[in-house]
Order: sequence, then structure tokens, then C-alpha cells
Amino acid sequence: MEISVWAGWIAGIAIGFFVIAHFWLLGKPAGCSTGYGNLCGLVCKRVKFFRMGEYSDLNNSKLWFLIGIPLGGLVSALTSVDSWHLSFDMGMYDAILPQTYSAKAIWLVFGGMLLGFGARLAGACTTGHALVGGAMLNPPSLLAGVVFFGSALITTHLLFGL
Amino acid sequence: MKILNKVNFFALVMGGLFGFLMSRAGATTYDYHAKMFLFIDFQLMEVIVTAVIVAMIGVFLLKKLHIHSVATGAEVDFVKKPYQQGLILGAMLFGIGWGMTAACPGTIPAMIAEGKIGAIFTFIGLLMGTMAYGILQTYIHHEHGSK
Repeated sequence: MEISVWAGWIAGIAIGFFVIAHFWLLGKPAGCSTGYGNLCGLVCKRVKFFRMGEYSDLNNSKLWFLIGIPLGGLVSALTSVDSWHLSFDMGMYDAILPQTYSAKAIWLVFGGMLLGFGARLAGACTTGHALVGGAMLNPPSLLAGVVFFGSALITTHLLFGL
Repeated sequence: MKILNKVNFFALVMGGLFGFLMSRAGATTYDYHAKMFLFIDFQLMEVIVTAVIVAMIGVFLLKKLHIHSVATGAEVDFVKKPYQQGLILGAMLFGIGWGMTAACPGTIPAMIAEGKIGAIFTFIGLLMGTMAYGILQTYIHHEHGSK
């Protein structure tokens, strides 16, 4: 379905205020990818990494933040002009991705694995490093943000053959 | 033990707001990612640059005012992610995943709620990738290192 989108600068200002509000309400930086580790810990109890350190209490704000995201996405979808419907349509990507549904699914699982493993190895994702880390002018986050962007840029150019 | 305490409730609300804003910003729409990286449309670039500037000013003011957290009552912790070994390699792998799926860990749950079937597979991959990292770390530090 087609989501109704705001002007870039309006959405940007709103997200900037979101980052500030998150600091004020929860007292710490916002982040997304860490919460996937909470889910891993809940699914598999035997992996010690998801039972200690920042994962010693799995029922924490990282988990509930992640649970909140689809609720907001659903509100956005239901208030868009287009009506809600299931779709495997991927826009421009349909021209360059594998054409069968199963191959497309495997492609996306593999890409997701790179996102999940890469985010943990880098310490955070686009939100924690580029957005919030960028706002705090944290050098490792700025470096990670630049590499995220450069790597995705090269990958996209290779995929689209430009 | 209360499952949904005050902190978790605020986190749920903020997660909802984040998902809504990511969606309205265009970050849950596949084509905006491709168009940005192919220099066709700079919607998402405009979003992140504006957001970082606004957040930067906000962080500066919050620090000056020594604001206390609403949920915990403690002074706001502007803890910065440290440089960790593997950051550059991890960021490169992440970027390849971003280019392949036109999604990020923060947008995937919202995309699933929007009815995007592709996001379900990316979500499964994200869990597998995170799990692989956890298993590797557990092996290095516990099974192997304890000997």
C-alpha cells in the first residue's frame, strides 16, 4: 500500500523532537537494534549473551520500544489515503530482485541477517548511531553513520547497475 | 513483578511515535531508499539532516538545563556508544543489508504493520543475524574463553 508522506523537513523536525522527548522521558538515548537481542533472549534461553549485561533484564524499555513501533506504523497506514492491504510489492526493487516469491524471500532474509549481525558488530543501527549518536556528535557514531551510508550507497548502485 | 511499569509504558508510547514518524517520513517506503542512494530524490536525506540538527540543539539545551528523566527521576544520561572492535566491518555489513532490503531495524516492525510481506522476511533475518552474533559472543567468552 502507498503510505502518505510528509515533506522531508517537517518529518525531520518531528523526528528531532522525538529524539529530545525520548531523552527527557526515558533519560537515555533512543535505539532500535538492541531490542532484537531481547527478542532473541526470549526465544532462546540457552544463549548466555542474551542473559547478561544489557540483556540481564529482558523485560526492559528496549523491548517495549520495539513493540511500540508496529503500533505507530499501523496508525500511519490506517490514516494514509490508500487503504490497508497486504502486499509483496517492493516498487523499484521488483525490477532488480529475484522474480520468484521464494527467491525474493531468501534474498530479504539474507539482507536482514546482514542488518542484524552488522548492527550488533557496529554497536547500534541507523537510529542509535546516525540519528542519536550524530546529534550528540559522538565520533564513533559519526564514523559508523558514514560507513552505513557509503556501504548502502555502493550496494544500491551495484544492484541497480549504475 | 509488574510487566508494564512506568519506564516500559513510556518506551511503548515512544516506540509508537517513532514507528508513526518513520512511516510518515517515507523511511518505510522502499523506493525512497533507492532514490536517495541513486541521487534521484533526497526526501530521506532531508529528513535525517533536519532531525539531527533539531536533536543536536535539543541535546545541547537539555545538557545545559540538567534535565531529569520523567520516568526514572534521575538526571538524563547522554551516554555515547563507544568505539568497539569490528565497528567498521559491522557498519559495512549493515550497509549491504540496508541496500539489499531498503530497510533498517527501526523501520521493519512498522513496515510489517503496514502490510508489507517482504518486511516479515527481513525481520526473520534480523533475528537470525542478531542471534548469530549472540551465539558467537557466547562461544568466544564462555565456552571457549573459560578454559
